[in-house]
Amino acid sequence: MTILRIENIRKSFGKLEVLKGVSLSVNKGEVIAIIGPSGSGKSTTLRCVINLEKVNDGSIYVDEEAMVENGEYRPEKHIHRLTAKMSMVFQHFNLFPHMTVRENLSMAPLIVKKEHPDIVQERCEELLRKVGLKDKIDAYPSRLSGGQKQRVAIARALMMQPEIMLFDEPTSSLDPELIGEVLGVMKALASEHMTMVVVTHEMGFAREAADTVLFMDEGVILERGTPQEIFGNPKNERTRVFLDRVL
Amino acid sequence: MNFDYAYILRISVPILEGTKLTLTLFAITLTFSLPLGLLTSFIRIGRFAFLRRAAAFYITVTRGTPLLLQLFFVYYGLPFFPGIKGLIVLDRFPAAALTFVFNYAAYFAEIFRGGILSVDRGQHEAARVLGFSKYQTAMKIVVPQMFKVVLPAVCNESITLVKDTALVTVLGLGELLHFAKAAVNRDSNISAFIVAGVFYLVMTTVITWVFKKLEDHFMFE
Repeated sequence: MTILRIENIRKSFGKLEVLKGVSLSVNKGEVIAIIGPSGSGKSTTLRCVINLEKVNDGSIYVDEEAMVENGEYRPEKHIHRLTAKMSMVFQHFNLFPHMTVRENLSMAPLIVKKEHPDIVQERCEELLRKVGLKDKIDAYPSRLSGGQKQRVAIARALMMQPEIMLFDEPTSSLDPELIGEVLGVMKALASEHMTMVVVTHEMGFAREAADTVLFMDEGVILERGTPQEIFGNPKNERTRVFLDRVL
Repeated sequence: MNFDYAYILRISVPILEGTKLTLTLFAITLTFSLPLGLLTSFIRIGRFAFLRRAAAFYITVTRGTPLLLQLFFVYYGLPFFPGIKGLIVLDRFPAAALTFVFNYAAYFAEIFRGGILSVDRGQHEAARVLGFSKYQTAMKIVVPQMFKVVLPAVCNESITLVKDTALVTVLGLGELLHFAKAAVNRDSNISAFIVAGVFYLVMTTVITWVFKKLEDHFMFE
Protein backbone atom coordinates (compact mmCIF):
# COMPACT_ATOMS: atom_id res chain seq x y z
CA MET A 1 0.00 0.00 0.00
CA THR A 2 1.43 3.34 -1.01
CA ILE A 3 1.61 5.72 1.93
CA LEU A 4 3.65 8.51 0.35
CA ARG A 5 3.80 9.42 -3.30
CA ILE A 6 5.82 12.20 -4.85
CA GLU A 7 5.35 13.05 -8.49
CA ASN A 8 7.74 15.13 -10.50
CA ILE A 9 8.45 17.76 -7.85
CA ARG A 10 10.57 20.75 -8.74
CA LYS A 11 12.15 23.24 -6.41
CA SER A 12 14.32 26.26 -7.05
CA PHE A 13 16.16 28.55 -4.68
CA GLY A 14 16.46 31.73 -6.70
CA LYS A 15 17.97 30.71 -10.01
CA LEU A 16 19.33 27.46 -8.70
CA GLU A 17 17.07 24.51 -9.46
CA VAL A 18 17.78 21.90 -6.80
CA LEU A 19 14.99 19.46 -7.63
CA LYS A 20 14.43 18.81 -11.30
CA GLY A 21 11.46 16.48 -11.27
CA VAL A 22 11.75 13.97 -8.46
CA SER A 23 9.27 11.10 -8.22
CA LEU A 24 9.11 8.34 -5.70
CA SER A 25 6.59 6.29 -3.84
CA VAL A 26 6.88 4.71 -0.45
CA ASN A 27 4.91 1.68 0.66
CA LYS A 28 3.74 1.16 4.20
CA GLY A 29 6.53 -0.42 6.22
CA GLU A 30 9.13 0.23 3.57
CA VAL A 31 12.56 1.60 4.44
CA ILE A 32 13.99 3.82 1.74
CA ALA A 33 17.53 5.11 1.82
CA ILE A 34 18.40 8.10 -0.33
CA ILE A 35 22.07 8.37 -1.10
CA GLY A 36 24.07 10.71 -3.28
CA PRO A 37 26.65 13.48 -3.23
CA SER A 38 26.21 16.71 -1.27
CA GLY A 39 23.93 19.22 -2.92
CA SER A 40 22.12 16.59 -4.93
CA GLY A 41 18.73 17.54 -3.48
CA LYS A 42 18.27 14.68 -1.00
CA SER A 43 17.54 16.84 2.01
CA THR A 44 15.43 19.28 0.01
CA THR A 45 13.26 16.36 -1.11
CA LEU A 46 12.59 15.41 2.51
CA ARG A 47 11.98 19.00 3.51
CA CYS A 48 9.43 19.42 0.73
CA VAL A 49 7.64 16.24 1.83
CA ILE A 50 7.10 17.61 5.35
CA ASN A 51 6.33 21.11 4.09
CA LEU A 52 9.41 22.86 5.44
CA GLU A 53 9.95 23.95 1.85
CA LYS A 54 7.33 24.62 -0.80
CA VAL A 55 7.74 22.95 -4.16
CA ASN A 56 7.44 25.05 -7.31
CA ASP A 57 5.78 22.28 -9.22
CA GLY A 58 4.71 18.66 -8.91
CA SER A 59 2.53 16.71 -6.50
CA ILE A 60 2.86 15.14 -3.09
CA TYR A 61 0.29 12.65 -1.78
CA VAL A 62 0.13 11.29 1.74
CA ASP A 63 -2.17 8.29 2.15
CA GLU A 64 -3.35 9.14 -1.38
CA GLU A 65 -4.52 12.57 -0.25
CA ALA A 66 -2.95 15.50 -2.07
CA MET A 67 -0.92 17.98 -0.07
CA VAL A 68 0.12 19.72 -3.25
CA GLU A 69 -1.04 18.85 -6.73
CA ASN A 70 0.75 20.18 -9.81
CA GLY A 71 2.27 22.94 -7.73
CA GLU A 72 -1.08 23.96 -6.20
CA TYR A 73 -1.05 23.70 -2.43
CA ARG A 74 -4.15 22.65 -0.51
CA PRO A 75 -5.41 24.82 2.38
CA GLU A 76 -3.12 25.14 5.37
CA LYS A 77 -5.40 23.11 7.63
CA HIS A 78 -5.47 20.21 5.23
CA ILE A 79 -1.68 20.28 4.79
CA HIS A 80 -1.32 20.32 8.54
CA ARG A 81 -3.42 17.18 8.87
CA LEU A 82 -1.21 15.39 6.36
CA THR A 83 2.14 16.51 7.73
CA ALA A 84 0.97 15.40 11.18
CA LYS A 85 1.26 11.82 9.89
CA MET A 86 4.98 12.33 9.53
CA SER A 87 7.81 13.10 11.88
CA MET A 88 11.34 14.19 11.12
CA VAL A 89 14.77 13.72 12.63
CA PHE A 90 17.28 16.43 11.80
CA GLN A 91 21.01 16.39 11.23
CA HIS A 92 21.57 18.84 14.08
CA PHE A 93 19.01 17.18 16.42
CA ASN A 94 17.22 20.47 17.11
CA LEU A 95 16.32 19.46 20.63
CA PHE A 96 14.88 22.29 22.70
CA PRO A 97 17.82 23.28 24.93
CA HIS A 98 15.66 24.93 27.59
CA MET A 99 13.67 21.78 28.24
CA THR A 100 14.62 18.51 29.88
CA VAL A 101 14.49 15.29 27.88
CA ARG A 102 11.07 14.59 29.37
CA GLU A 103 9.76 18.01 28.38
CA ASN A 104 11.25 17.70 24.89
CA LEU A 105 9.29 14.48 24.42
CA SER A 106 6.07 15.50 26.15
CA MET A 107 5.50 19.07 25.01
CA ALA A 108 4.04 18.39 21.56
CA PRO A 109 1.75 15.49 22.58
CA LEU A 110 0.47 17.64 25.46
CA ILE A 111 -0.10 20.98 23.75
CA VAL A 112 -0.52 19.99 20.11
CA LYS A 113 -2.40 16.70 20.40
CA LYS A 114 -3.81 17.55 23.84
CA GLU A 115 -3.28 14.03 25.09
CA HIS A 116 -3.75 13.05 28.71
CA PRO A 117 -0.58 13.66 30.78
CA ASP A 118 -0.57 10.11 32.16
CA ILE A 119 -0.65 8.61 28.69
CA VAL A 120 2.07 10.97 27.51
CA GLN A 121 4.20 10.18 30.54
CA GLU A 122 3.86 6.45 29.98
CA ARG A 123 4.78 6.69 26.30
CA CYS A 124 7.67 9.01 27.11
CA GLU A 125 9.21 6.47 29.48
CA GLU A 126 8.56 3.59 27.11
CA LEU A 127 10.25 5.33 24.18
CA LEU A 128 13.21 6.44 26.26
CA ARG A 129 13.66 2.85 27.36
CA LYS A 130 13.54 1.84 23.74
CA VAL A 131 16.36 4.23 22.77
CA GLY A 132 18.24 3.29 25.93
CA LEU A 133 18.05 6.66 27.68
CA LYS A 134 15.50 6.15 30.44
CA ASP A 135 18.05 7.32 33.00
CA LYS A 136 18.43 10.67 31.18
CA ILE A 137 14.75 11.58 31.46
CA ASP A 138 15.38 14.64 33.64
CA ALA A 139 18.63 15.75 32.01
CA TYR A 140 18.94 18.85 29.85
CA PRO A 141 20.22 18.30 26.28
CA SER A 142 23.45 20.16 27.11
CA ARG A 143 24.36 17.22 29.35
CA LEU A 144 24.03 14.64 26.55
CA SER A 145 26.50 13.41 23.96
CA GLY A 146 25.69 13.85 20.27
CA GLY A 147 24.58 10.24 19.94
CA GLN A 148 22.35 10.55 22.98
CA LYS A 149 20.85 13.79 21.67
CA GLN A 150 19.98 12.15 18.38
CA ARG A 151 18.40 9.17 20.14
CA VAL A 152 16.32 11.59 22.20
CA ALA A 153 15.36 13.37 18.97
CA ILE A 154 14.22 10.05 17.48
CA ALA A 155 12.18 9.34 20.61
CA ARG A 156 10.67 12.83 20.42
CA ALA A 157 9.67 12.24 16.80
CA LEU A 158 8.14 8.88 17.73
CA MET A 159 6.10 10.51 20.52
CA MET A 160 3.85 11.92 17.81
CA GLN A 161 3.09 8.35 16.68
CA PRO A 162 3.83 9.08 13.03
CA GLU A 163 3.05 6.77 10.15
CA ILE A 164 6.22 7.87 8.38
CA MET A 165 9.59 8.79 9.83
CA LEU A 166 11.87 11.05 7.84
CA PHE A 167 15.57 11.14 8.70
CA ASP A 168 17.69 13.97 7.32
CA GLU A 169 21.32 12.83 7.59
CA PRO A 170 20.79 11.74 11.20
CA THR A 171 24.41 10.72 11.76
CA SER A 172 26.26 13.34 9.71
CA SER A 173 27.12 15.61 12.63
CA LEU A 174 28.14 12.79 14.97
CA ASP A 175 31.60 11.64 15.96
CA PRO A 176 32.32 8.30 14.28
CA GLU A 177 32.20 6.36 17.54
CA LEU A 178 28.67 7.64 18.26
CA ILE A 179 27.15 6.76 14.90
CA GLY A 180 26.59 3.12 15.81
CA GLU A 181 24.21 3.77 18.69
CA VAL A 182 21.95 5.93 16.50
CA LEU A 183 21.98 3.49 13.59
CA GLY A 184 21.17 0.74 16.09
CA VAL A 185 17.98 2.53 17.11
CA MET A 186 17.08 3.14 13.46
CA LYS A 187 17.63 -0.51 12.55
CA ALA A 188 15.42 -1.56 15.44
CA LEU A 189 12.71 0.74 14.11
CA ALA A 190 13.11 -0.66 10.61
CA SER A 191 12.74 -4.18 11.94
CA GLU A 192 9.42 -3.14 13.51
CA HIS A 193 8.24 -2.15 10.03
CA MET A 194 8.16 1.57 10.61
CA THR A 195 7.93 3.37 7.29
CA MET A 196 11.18 5.29 6.95
CA VAL A 197 12.76 7.59 4.41
CA VAL A 198 16.39 8.09 5.32
CA VAL A 199 18.79 10.52 3.69
CA THR A 200 22.16 9.13 4.65
CA HIS A 201 25.85 8.90 3.98
CA GLU A 202 25.98 5.65 5.91
CA MET A 203 26.25 3.08 3.16
CA GLY A 204 26.37 0.30 5.73
CA PHE A 205 22.94 1.29 7.00
CA ALA A 206 21.53 1.61 3.48
CA ARG A 207 22.85 -1.81 2.60
CA GLU A 208 21.67 -3.59 5.73
CA ALA A 209 18.43 -1.88 6.71
CA ALA A 210 16.91 -0.42 3.54
CA ASP A 211 14.42 -2.19 1.29
CA THR A 212 15.02 0.28 -1.51
CA VAL A 213 17.99 2.50 -2.23
CA LEU A 214 17.69 5.65 -4.34
CA PHE A 215 20.70 7.38 -5.81
CA MET A 216 20.22 11.11 -6.34
CA ASP A 217 22.47 13.51 -8.19
CA GLU A 218 21.93 17.04 -9.43
CA GLY A 219 18.27 17.16 -8.51
CA VAL A 220 17.11 13.90 -10.05
CA ILE A 221 16.87 10.29 -8.95
CA LEU A 222 19.30 8.52 -11.26
CA GLU A 223 18.89 4.99 -10.06
CA ARG A 224 16.70 2.97 -7.75
CA GLY A 225 16.79 -0.62 -6.66
CA THR A 226 17.34 -3.06 -3.85
CA PRO A 227 20.56 -2.63 -1.87
CA GLN A 228 21.90 -5.70 -3.69
CA GLU A 229 21.26 -4.09 -7.06
CA ILE A 230 22.62 -0.66 -6.18
CA PHE A 231 25.66 -1.75 -4.23
CA GLY A 232 26.31 -5.02 -6.09
CA ASN A 233 25.74 -3.99 -9.63
CA PRO A 234 25.04 -0.28 -10.16
CA LYS A 235 23.81 0.41 -13.68
CA ASN A 236 24.35 4.14 -13.83
CA GLU A 237 27.89 5.38 -14.38
CA ARG A 238 27.49 8.23 -11.83
CA THR A 239 26.21 5.82 -9.20
CA ARG A 240 29.26 3.66 -9.77
CA VAL A 241 31.65 6.62 -9.50
CA PHE A 242 29.93 7.82 -6.32
CA LEU A 243 30.00 4.43 -4.68
CA ASP A 244 33.64 3.88 -5.62
CA ARG A 245 34.46 7.12 -3.88
CA VAL A 246 32.53 6.54 -0.65
CA LEU A 247 32.99 2.82 -0.13
CA MET B 1 35.77 67.49 56.38
CA ASN B 2 35.06 65.67 59.58
CA PHE B 3 32.82 62.65 59.69
CA ASP B 4 29.66 63.42 61.54
CA TYR B 5 27.61 60.25 61.86
CA ALA B 6 24.67 62.00 63.40
CA TYR B 7 24.54 64.39 60.46
CA ILE B 8 24.78 61.59 57.93
CA LEU B 9 21.98 59.72 59.67
CA ARG B 10 19.88 62.88 59.67
CA ILE B 11 20.25 63.59 55.95
CA SER B 12 19.73 59.90 55.15
CA VAL B 13 16.14 60.08 56.29
CA PRO B 14 14.86 62.34 53.47
CA ILE B 15 17.16 60.58 50.98
CA LEU B 16 15.62 57.27 52.02
CA GLU B 17 12.22 58.88 51.57
CA GLY B 18 13.25 59.91 48.05
CA THR B 19 14.45 56.36 47.38
CA LYS B 20 10.83 55.24 47.66
CA LEU B 21 9.93 57.32 44.63
CA THR B 22 13.07 56.17 42.81
CA LEU B 23 12.18 52.53 43.40
CA THR B 24 8.53 53.06 42.50
CA LEU B 25 9.51 54.64 39.20
CA PHE B 26 12.00 51.81 38.63
CA ALA B 27 9.39 49.13 39.32
CA ILE B 28 6.68 50.74 37.20
CA THR B 29 9.09 51.23 34.30
CA LEU B 30 10.29 47.62 34.32
CA THR B 31 6.83 46.17 34.82
CA PHE B 32 5.38 47.93 31.80
CA SER B 33 8.36 48.44 29.49
CA LEU B 34 9.38 44.77 29.41
CA PRO B 35 6.07 43.46 28.00
CA LEU B 36 5.70 46.55 25.81
CA GLY B 37 9.21 45.99 24.52
CA LEU B 38 8.47 42.33 23.81
CA LEU B 39 5.33 43.27 21.93
CA THR B 40 7.22 45.91 19.96
CA SER B 41 9.97 43.43 19.06
CA PHE B 42 7.34 40.99 17.75
CA ILE B 43 5.77 43.73 15.67
CA ARG B 44 9.20 44.84 14.49
CA ILE B 45 9.88 41.41 12.94
CA GLY B 46 6.26 40.59 12.26
CA ARG B 47 4.24 40.07 9.14
CA PHE B 48 2.69 43.48 8.64
CA ALA B 49 4.88 45.96 6.80
CA PHE B 50 3.01 49.03 8.02
CA LEU B 51 3.27 48.00 11.67
CA ARG B 52 6.90 47.04 11.17
CA ARG B 53 7.67 50.53 9.92
CA ALA B 54 5.67 52.17 12.69
CA ALA B 55 7.61 50.19 15.30
CA ALA B 56 10.91 51.10 13.64
CA PHE B 57 9.91 54.77 13.65
CA TYR B 58 8.98 54.67 17.32
CA ILE B 59 12.31 53.04 18.19
CA THR B 60 14.29 55.52 16.09
CA VAL B 61 12.67 58.56 17.66
CA THR B 62 12.77 57.23 21.21
CA ARG B 63 16.35 56.01 21.09
CA GLY B 64 17.51 58.95 19.03
CA THR B 65 16.50 61.73 21.42
CA PRO B 66 17.58 62.37 25.01
CA LEU B 67 15.41 60.97 27.77
CA LEU B 68 15.66 64.35 29.46
CA LEU B 69 14.18 66.04 26.41
CA GLN B 70 11.38 63.46 26.35
CA LEU B 71 10.61 64.20 29.99
CA PHE B 72 10.36 67.93 29.23
CA PHE B 73 8.30 67.23 26.17
CA VAL B 74 5.74 65.00 27.88
CA TYR B 75 5.40 67.12 30.99
CA TYR B 76 5.66 70.66 29.63
CA GLY B 77 5.13 70.21 25.91
CA LEU B 78 2.23 67.81 25.57
CA PRO B 79 -0.41 70.15 27.04
CA PHE B 80 0.38 72.68 24.31
CA PHE B 81 -0.34 70.27 21.49
CA PRO B 82 -3.42 71.15 19.47
CA GLY B 83 -6.10 68.56 20.06
CA ILE B 84 -4.50 67.34 23.23
CA LYS B 85 -4.63 70.74 24.84
CA GLY B 86 -6.74 70.63 27.92
CA LEU B 87 -7.48 66.93 27.48
CA ILE B 88 -4.32 65.55 28.97
CA VAL B 89 -2.55 67.39 31.69
CA LEU B 90 -0.33 64.85 33.32
CA ASP B 91 0.85 65.18 36.83
CA ARG B 92 4.59 65.13 37.37
CA PHE B 93 4.89 61.50 38.38
CA PRO B 94 2.56 60.00 35.73
CA ALA B 95 4.34 62.09 33.11
CA ALA B 96 7.70 60.78 34.27
CA ALA B 97 6.51 57.17 34.48
CA LEU B 98 4.91 57.31 31.01
CA THR B 99 8.08 58.73 29.49
CA PHE B 100 10.28 56.14 31.15
CA VAL B 101 8.05 53.24 30.12
CA PHE B 102 8.04 54.25 26.45
CA ASN B 103 11.72 55.12 26.46
CA TYR B 104 12.84 51.83 28.00
CA ALA B 105 10.41 49.76 25.95
CA ALA B 106 12.20 50.96 22.81
CA TYR B 107 15.56 49.76 24.11
CA PHE B 108 14.11 46.48 25.31
CA ALA B 109 12.42 45.96 21.93
CA GLU B 110 15.78 46.07 20.19
CA ILE B 111 17.40 43.81 22.78
CA PHE B 112 14.57 41.30 22.43
CA ARG B 113 14.68 41.47 18.65
CA GLY B 114 18.35 40.50 18.77
CA GLY B 115 17.52 37.68 21.17
CA ILE B 116 14.70 36.36 18.99
CA LEU B 117 16.88 36.39 15.88
CA SER B 118 19.60 34.51 17.75
CA VAL B 119 17.35 31.46 18.18
CA ASP B 120 18.47 28.83 15.67
CA ARG B 121 16.32 28.22 12.61
CA GLY B 122 16.39 24.52 13.46
CA GLN B 123 14.34 25.27 16.58
CA HIS B 124 11.57 26.77 14.48
CA GLU B 125 11.71 23.82 12.09
CA ALA B 126 11.58 21.24 14.88
CA ALA B 127 8.61 23.04 16.42
CA ARG B 128 6.86 23.19 13.06
CA VAL B 129 7.40 19.51 12.35
CA LEU B 130 5.98 18.68 15.78
CA GLY B 131 2.88 20.65 14.86
CA PHE B 132 3.30 23.70 17.12
CA SER B 133 1.30 26.74 16.07
CA LYS B 134 3.14 30.01 15.50
CA TYR B 135 1.94 31.26 18.87
CA GLN B 136 3.01 28.08 20.66
CA THR B 137 6.40 28.23 18.95
CA ALA B 138 6.87 31.82 20.05
CA MET B 139 5.77 31.26 23.65
CA LYS B 140 7.20 27.81 24.36
CA ILE B 141 10.30 27.72 22.20
CA VAL B 142 11.52 31.16 21.12
CA VAL B 143 10.80 33.42 24.10
CA PRO B 144 12.31 31.14 26.78
CA GLN B 145 15.50 30.77 24.74
CA MET B 146 15.56 34.47 23.93
CA PHE B 147 15.28 35.20 27.65
CA LYS B 148 18.55 33.51 28.40
CA VAL B 149 20.32 35.40 25.61
CA VAL B 150 19.02 38.85 26.58
CA LEU B 151 19.48 38.61 30.36
CA PRO B 152 22.91 40.33 30.49
CA ALA B 153 21.68 43.19 28.28
CA VAL B 154 18.46 43.56 30.29
CA CYS B 155 20.54 43.65 33.47
CA ASN B 156 22.60 46.44 31.95
CA GLU B 157 19.50 48.42 31.06
CA SER B 158 18.02 47.90 34.52
CA ILE B 159 21.15 49.33 36.11
CA THR B 160 21.02 52.30 33.75
CA LEU B 161 17.36 52.72 34.63
CA VAL B 162 18.08 53.06 38.35
CA LYS B 163 20.52 55.85 37.58
CA ASP B 164 18.28 57.46 34.96
CA THR B 165 15.54 57.92 37.54
CA ALA B 166 17.69 60.77 38.85
CA LEU B 167 16.61 62.72 35.77
CA VAL B 168 13.09 63.26 37.10
CA THR B 169 14.53 65.67 39.61
CA VAL B 170 14.28 68.25 36.80
CA LEU B 171 10.49 67.97 37.01
CA GLY B 172 10.77 68.81 40.70
CA LEU B 173 9.91 65.28 41.78
CA GLY B 174 11.18 64.32 45.20
CA GLU B 175 13.36 61.38 44.35
CA LEU B 176 16.64 60.32 45.89
CA LEU B 177 18.94 62.87 44.27
CA HIS B 178 16.45 65.68 44.81
CA PHE B 179 16.78 65.39 48.59
CA ALA B 180 20.53 64.88 48.45
CA LYS B 181 20.89 68.06 46.44
CA ALA B 182 18.64 69.93 48.84
CA ALA B 183 20.78 68.88 51.78
CA VAL B 184 23.99 69.87 50.00
CA ASN B 185 22.59 73.32 49.16
CA ARG B 186 21.22 73.88 52.61
CA ASP B 187 24.23 72.72 54.61
CA SER B 188 27.05 73.51 52.18
CA ASN B 189 28.23 69.97 52.82
CA ILE B 190 28.69 67.38 50.08
CA SER B 191 28.20 64.38 52.39
CA ALA B 192 24.67 64.01 51.04
CA PHE B 193 26.05 63.32 47.55
CA ILE B 194 28.21 60.55 48.94
CA VAL B 195 25.22 59.11 50.77
CA ALA B 196 23.22 59.29 47.55
CA GLY B 197 26.04 57.52 45.68
CA VAL B 198 26.05 54.73 48.25
CA PHE B 199 22.27 54.38 47.91
CA TYR B 200 22.55 54.01 44.14
CA LEU B 201 25.39 51.53 44.54
CA VAL B 202 23.36 49.38 46.90
CA MET B 203 20.45 49.32 44.49
CA THR B 204 22.56 48.45 41.45
CA THR B 205 24.38 45.77 43.43
CA VAL B 206 21.08 44.15 44.36
CA ILE B 207 19.96 44.26 40.72
CA THR B 208 23.23 42.67 39.59
CA TRP B 209 22.77 39.93 42.17
CA VAL B 210 19.18 39.25 41.11
CA PHE B 211 20.20 38.96 37.46
CA LYS B 212 23.07 36.66 38.38
CA LYS B 213 20.51 34.39 40.04
CA LEU B 214 18.29 34.59 36.99
CA GLU B 215 21.18 33.69 34.70
CA ASP B 216 21.97 30.67 36.86
CA HIS B 217 18.32 29.67 36.66
CA PHE B 218 18.34 29.92 32.86
CA MET B 219 21.49 27.84 32.39
CA PHE B 220 19.46 24.76 31.40
CA GLU B 221 21.98 22.29 32.72
